[in-house]
Amino acid sequence: MVLVLALGDLHIPHRAADLPTKFKSMLVPGKIQHIICTGNLCSKEVHDYLKTLCPDLHIARGEYDEETRYPETKTLTIGQFKLGLCHGHQVIPWGDLDSLAMLQRQLDVDILVTGHTHQFTAYKHEGGVVINPGSATGAYSSITYDVNPSFVLMDIDGLRVVVYVYELIDGEVKVDKIDFKKTSTSHSAH
Amino acid sequence: MVKKRVPDWLNSSMWSSKPAPSDDHYNLRYSAITTATATTTSPTSSTSPAEDHSVDPPVPVPPQPIIKDPPEPQRIQESRVDNGANDQNGNSGLPSADDISRQAQLMAELSRKMIDIRELRKIACQGIPDGSGIRSTVWKLLLGYLPLDRGLWSSELAKKRSQYKHFKEDLLMNPSEITRRMYSSTSCDTDESRCESKGLLSRSEIPQGEHPLSLGKTSVWNQFFQDSEIIEQIDRDVKRTHPDMHFFSGDSQLAKSNREALKSILIIFAKLNPGLRYVQGMNEILAPLFYVFKNDPDEINVAFAEADTFFCFVELLSGLRDNFCQQLDNSVVGIRSTITRLSQLLREHDEELWRHLEVTTKVNPQFYAFRWITLLLTQEFNFADSIHIWDTLLSDPEGPQETLLRVCCAMLILIRRRLLAGDFTSNLKLLQNYPSTNISHLLYVANKLRVQSI
Repeated sequence: MVLVLALGDLHIPHRAADLPTKFKSMLVPGKIQHIICTGNLCSKEVHDYLKTLCPDLHIARGEYDEETRYPETKTLTIGQFKLGLCHGHQVIPWGDLDSLAMLQRQLDVDILVTGHTHQFTAYKHEGGVVINPGSATGAYSSITYDVNPSFVLMDIDGLRVVVYVYELIDGEVKVDKIDFKKTSTSHSAH
Repeated sequence: MVKKRVPDWLNSSMWSSKPAPSDDHYNLRYSAITTATATTTSPTSSTSPAEDHSVDPPVPVPPQPIIKDPPEPQRIQESRVDNGANDQNGNSGLPSADDISRQAQLMAELSRKMIDIRELRKIACQGIPDGSGIRSTVWKLLLGYLPLDRGLWSSELAKKRSQYKHFKEDLLMNPSEITRRMYSSTSCDTDESRCESKGLLSRSEIPQGEHPLSLGKTSVWNQFFQDSEIIEQIDRDVKRTHPDMHFFSGDSQLAKSNREALKSILIIFAKLNPGLRYVQGMNEILAPLFYVFKNDPDEINVAFAEADTFFCFVELLSGLRDNFCQQLDNSVVGIRSTITRLSQLLREHDEELWRHLEVTTKVNPQFYAFRWITLLLTQEFNFADSIHIWDTLLSDPEGPQETLLRVCCAMLILIRRRLLAGDFTSNLKLLQNYPSTNISHLLYVANKLRVQSI
């Protein structure tokens, strides 16, 4: 039962001052085992704050990040799942399912986490699942101003993943979930 | 006012050397037993009394517990003579005549249909022989886990063991599983809809607002995280229990499964007792119980040792709760007042020592007696000795505390010469690392104290 927090596109301090208070009150240290961040934090303070939530922090570089040494893509294994991380501005067209699927096959991962569009999405295709946690601060994106703050918490338990989607809609936190299972014969081994 | 002196019987030279059983005393008991052996040729003592339906008491095995076939009377005679002066503990592989007779008495008592608990307590008080394999059953009876009517044993055991199984299922599930069960009862076959190979994944509602970051008091997840602190504490303590024993520590499969069992018992206890939760030290009280039950010669009992230990642990702890409850520390029933009672007991029996300890050298009894009392002396002696002491403690009808205080007092009196000669530092060092002694005469002295104080 591993809890993995996926969030990104915070754009602190340029486009947003801080995470919404309601989100901050929920994110307490000690509950989460891993954090996956799609990028665009942008400042060091945000990095330090995330580190206090959980020491195991993975970040991919977004185009506005001040820290230049984050990797473009990252892969990690948690339990039975392989996760891939990429900011997403490199994948054109932005947010296109097929292009993201190509990236996913390239990285050879079960779950690909990307951002940049600032919209929550969860797609499934033959190669696996693509999750976009949206923007945790609700910062405006290159495409639109209409952004709801959102992030994702994944509960990885054996071969099942329950994805909890936290969104701030009209000042209230709404939580939904998505279930999926990895079939044991999903990817061919290389 | 008469100044209390050390009673004469304490000053006798008997206490300085190991007494050996005198020959007469020996032969008397021996002859009683050989007549018993001559009449019945019964199975070895490894038969659990629970399974023995015959009315004849099973004959105790001759000196070596590993001998399987019933011996002839002559063989007993030879090996008995060899016994010579074995030590009083009964720790040696060859039990003394005392042990054999006590074992016979216990077996007799246990094979009755309706067990007389007072009789059992009286015999058990003198100690339960090690090789007999009946300690597990006797302890279960003393702690009130097994009913006194032997016919009810199997039904009671089955009931309790299944109850424990339900506890485990209910309380040891992690929140992922709990929420999955909640969902599977509401949604139907969501897995089927996953057949779609491409496209947006459908979002579904979460029932009752249960999500991992929930801060609600009734949230399964929130409770889980609050419990996880306690679970970590329990885990740490269990790992540190008796690091010198292969039964508990090390990487063997056996040790790991034993530790898991201890953990489960303590976690379930903590969850069922939100007022008391887990306090450090409970693991030390649990360990001897589990060890004894796991070493029961009966296979079925061994398989269910965890469940049996749980209920016996609850029973044992119910008498000791007050020692573990922090709010009661300063109250009339709390640990401080118990320590004061020990102090008074010492003053009654040995005023000179009391005065020297508490007034002259200012060794506050809290410095040493706290551990003695809360952990029932498990930390002061080696494991085998503390199990012997527990035989006596558990057979006290008023609960272990009364006998415990007498044993603690006896412990102090037995080393009085060294204490009287020492100052604060050396006395404290001595008391916190109590020197190993002959357990039988420690218990004998403790018993004498009862007789005297009325």
